[in-house]
Amino acid sequence: MVVHIRREQDIATARQVVKNFAQENGFSLSDVTKATTAVSELARNIYRYAGTGSVCLRRTTRDRGTPGLEIVAVDRGPGIPDVARVLSGGFSTYERSLGIGLAGVRRLMDEFEIRSEPGAGTLVRAAKYRRGF
Amino acid sequence: MVPTVRVAGCLLVPIQIDLDDATVERLQQQLLHEIEAERAQAVILDVSMVDVIDSYISYTISETASMARLMGCRTVLCGIRPHVALTLAQMGVRLRHVAFARDLEHALTLARGRLTGGTPGIAPPEPRIRS
Repeated sequence: MVVHIRREQDIATARQVVKNFAQENGFSLSDVTKATTAVSELARNIYRYAGTGSVCLRRTTRDRGTPGLEIVAVDRGPGIPDVARVLSGGFSTYERSLGIGLAGVRRLMDEFEIRSEPGAGTLVRAAKYRRGF
Repeated sequence: MVPTVRVAGCLLVPIQIDLDDATVERLQQQLLHEIEAERAQAVILDVSMVDVIDSYISYTISETASMARLMGCRTVLCGIRPHVALTLAQMGVRLRHVAFARDLEHALTLARGRLTGGTPGIAPPEPRIRS
């Protein structure tokens, strides 16, 4: 499933889509909220910094078939010159922000990876797995 | 417009809609106007219906509370749901300039405490008088 981010309202759409997706796949309320919040951050980053991009959602599995949810956020925006600095939290080039977006996403999700190239764009892949209990 | 209710000198704001960025920004403007018009001593944001509070919403709430404080009005955030609290804590979000309440009754207690300009709901130490 793909949500294209072009306008501010698309952030809310992305949120709603991941919320439904996680609920339908039997995630707990806490994990639904974490995944939804993470997508909210990723979609906003795309809108704020790149203007346009997309958030892709798909089912995934880990180990002995533990079902999970994979989120891939891609844009062809300006990229992040210093990823480590952004991930340390409390850093933002956008004035109206806490600067903890990406660091927060990493804390909320079970898996997190980021590839960013200045001038070419950014790709964030994150996954959350359903708890076994 | 988010409908607000005037209760005991406070502005009660039950948030029953999805807080997208534009809504949060409009709400900030609306509250600042209403604080002035109503001469409210506190704004109580009831977020017990809110499912997602992300870093931007948190930032805007903190910023609004900071502005309200400059206008002599405190801000109480009321009824954060457990999964929202978990998410905010895990992300490391710090909501500043606000007091937190479990429910409306608790919120009113905090809102109507002595307005000191310091941490809402906590009175400053009594001045010591030496004789």
